[in-house]
Amino acid sequence: MWLNPIVKKDVRVQSRSMKICWGVFAYELILALVFFLAMVVIQQNSRYSTNNIYSSMVWLYPVLAVTQIVILGVVVPVRTASSISGEKERQTFDIMMTTNMTPFSIIIGKVMTAIVQSMLFVFASMPIMALSFIIGGMSWSYLFWFLGIALLASFFSASIGILCSSLCKKSISAVIMTYGFYLLFFLGTFLPFLVYQIRRESMLYSSNYTTFSTQAYSYGENWLLFLLVNPAVYLAEFFGRIMAGQSIMNSCVDLTGTYKTAGPIRLVATGNRWLILSTILLLAVSLLFLWIASKRINPVGKHAGKCVRKKKD
Amino acid sequence: MLQINHLNKSYGKFQAVKDLTLHIPKGDLFGFVGPNGAGKTTTIRMVCGLMPPGSGSIVINGVDALSHRREIKKQIGYVPDFFGVYDNLKVKEYMDFYGSMYRMSSRETARISDDLLELVNLSDKKEVFVDTLSRGMKQRLCVARALIHNPALLVLDEPNSGLDPRARVEMKELLQNLRSMGKTIVISSHILSELSEMCNSIGIMDHGILVASGRIEDVMEGVFGGNRLVITLEEGRETAVRIASEYAGVKVESVGEHELKLSHNMSKQEIAKLIGAMIAQDVVVTGFHKQEGSLETLFMRVTGDDEAQKGEGKNVAESDC
Repeated sequence: MWLNPIVKKDVRVQSRSMKICWGVFAYELILALVFFLAMVVIQQNSRYSTNNIYSSMVWLYPVLAVTQIVILGVVVPVRTASSISGEKERQTFDIMMTTNMTPFSIIIGKVMTAIVQSMLFVFASMPIMALSFIIGGMSWSYLFWFLGIALLASFFSASIGILCSSLCKKSISAVIMTYGFYLLFFLGTFLPFLVYQIRRESMLYSSNYTTFSTQAYSYGENWLLFLLVNPAVYLAEFFGRIMAGQSIMNSCVDLTGTYKTAGPIRLVATGNRWLILSTILLLAVSLLFLWIASKRINPVGKHAGKCVRKKKD
Repeated sequence: MLQINHLNKSYGKFQAVKDLTLHIPKGDLFGFVGPNGAGKTTTIRMVCGLMPPGSGSIVINGVDALSHRREIKKQIGYVPDFFGVYDNLKVKEYMDFYGSMYRMSSRETARISDDLLELVNLSDKKEVFVDTLSRGMKQRLCVARALIHNPALLVLDEPNSGLDPRARVEMKELLQNLRSMGKTIVISSHILSELSEMCNSIGIMDHGILVASGRIEDVMEGVFGGNRLVITLEEGRETAVRIASEYAGVKVESVGEHELKLSHNMSKQEIAKLIGAMIAQDVVVTGFHKQEGSLETLFMRVTGDDEAQKGEGKNVAESDC
């Protein structure tokens, strides 16, 4: 089986560095601290509650899982943002581009390296994560769901990092741009709905309330569809389904009230559809970013065709 | 092997390469020289597919470099001006990495890299980490890496910069070895004395224009206008100039107090006749010798400040073709 040589090389090089050991140590330490903090909070709450303390332990799962995904979300872009620009700084990028590797396979190699590293962290955290299953009374299948989510989060973060790395010459600019992209996804996707809400509220309390279009009101919540690519909403939806057995987006959208919501949001917010569609969209966005990055790093891609066309003319 | 036709490249308003036409035959060790900013690296990067040309064509081994990128990658081995190595890799792993980049199997890579490391005199460093190698060794490793897929054309961008004299000599020997194996090598450098010793053909670039190119001897003759003869004399300078001017195919280049420089296309007998004629007319000739043009002199001549001269630069390779 042909293994992407970049993955093989990067994993080999990085595993020889002490950075990776310190990285795993820091990761475990943060998780252990969060675990103990969560235990303390659960214990404190149980004093004022009649519930069995073990029933509260179940919350260790989302706490630890979200902590890990947040850490991955912070760490992965830093590593990937310097992957292409780092090769450029080391002046190995030009050599790479003269080999048989296509720009896309180089990009995929870098993303796979980031995912392999993330998975190393995740697997290293299994003993701590397992505690929430032993004393939390969760099903083991949720562990695999978590692995899937961690994989998706790593892929998404890595694709943003790679895109920024291909856009910037310097690693530090790429890292800053990556966090800019994060802001766009985390906060920017809320903006359309926020603007709609402000407009709606102002119209509701204004004198021309009667002129407000019922249809516009009904369709307004469709602005929430932008949240399909919001990773925070995705996580909330995922853990909402696991912990409470209900869709958060479903409860956000007024499906049965006085002003029934119309449009595609009705379909999307029903059942598991939000989660499925969101997964597909996040994957599609990631692939789009990787494709753009591969086009960006191709030194002659666009021009080659142009020259050939000129010659043929 | 390498045919470049009317190649142009601009960075905004600045034209880095202007209408470059060049032919490098198979098996040549071609030296690419020029002052900083002359357009050498830009040309090399375009040849290696690291930069799109503004216009023009590049044909390597009969294959159009712009429309057959994948084919061309197999034909070129590129060594940049910087080592381009990964410090946490062993020499063997470094070679294996680039072998797999060319989709070669591990066994095949191991076999070829053993031969190549022997060629570059690094076979005893296989298990050594790259960062412990000296600069010269790193550069030789880079050459070995560039040869892993057995390319027909090896392109080196200033490979000797920053190397000590011993490493330079080793590199020179290595390149000459490769040439004797039939590889076509293009090397850009500022160290003209080294280029003149190892290259058989050169191309001189200045302000994006190829001002001279072809076999070193042909370029010398083209620029200096044939052979040069220096006659030292004690008396009768004016008479000597008059006699020399009367001979067909002789041009008086310069006249010093006790020295006369001529460019000519005379045979040995004709030179003897000329000297005899001078002596017969009471010119006191104290000596004469043939002056060989050096690459440095040639370089200074063709990259002089006279803009008109640049435009009129003689492309020997072109005229030969």
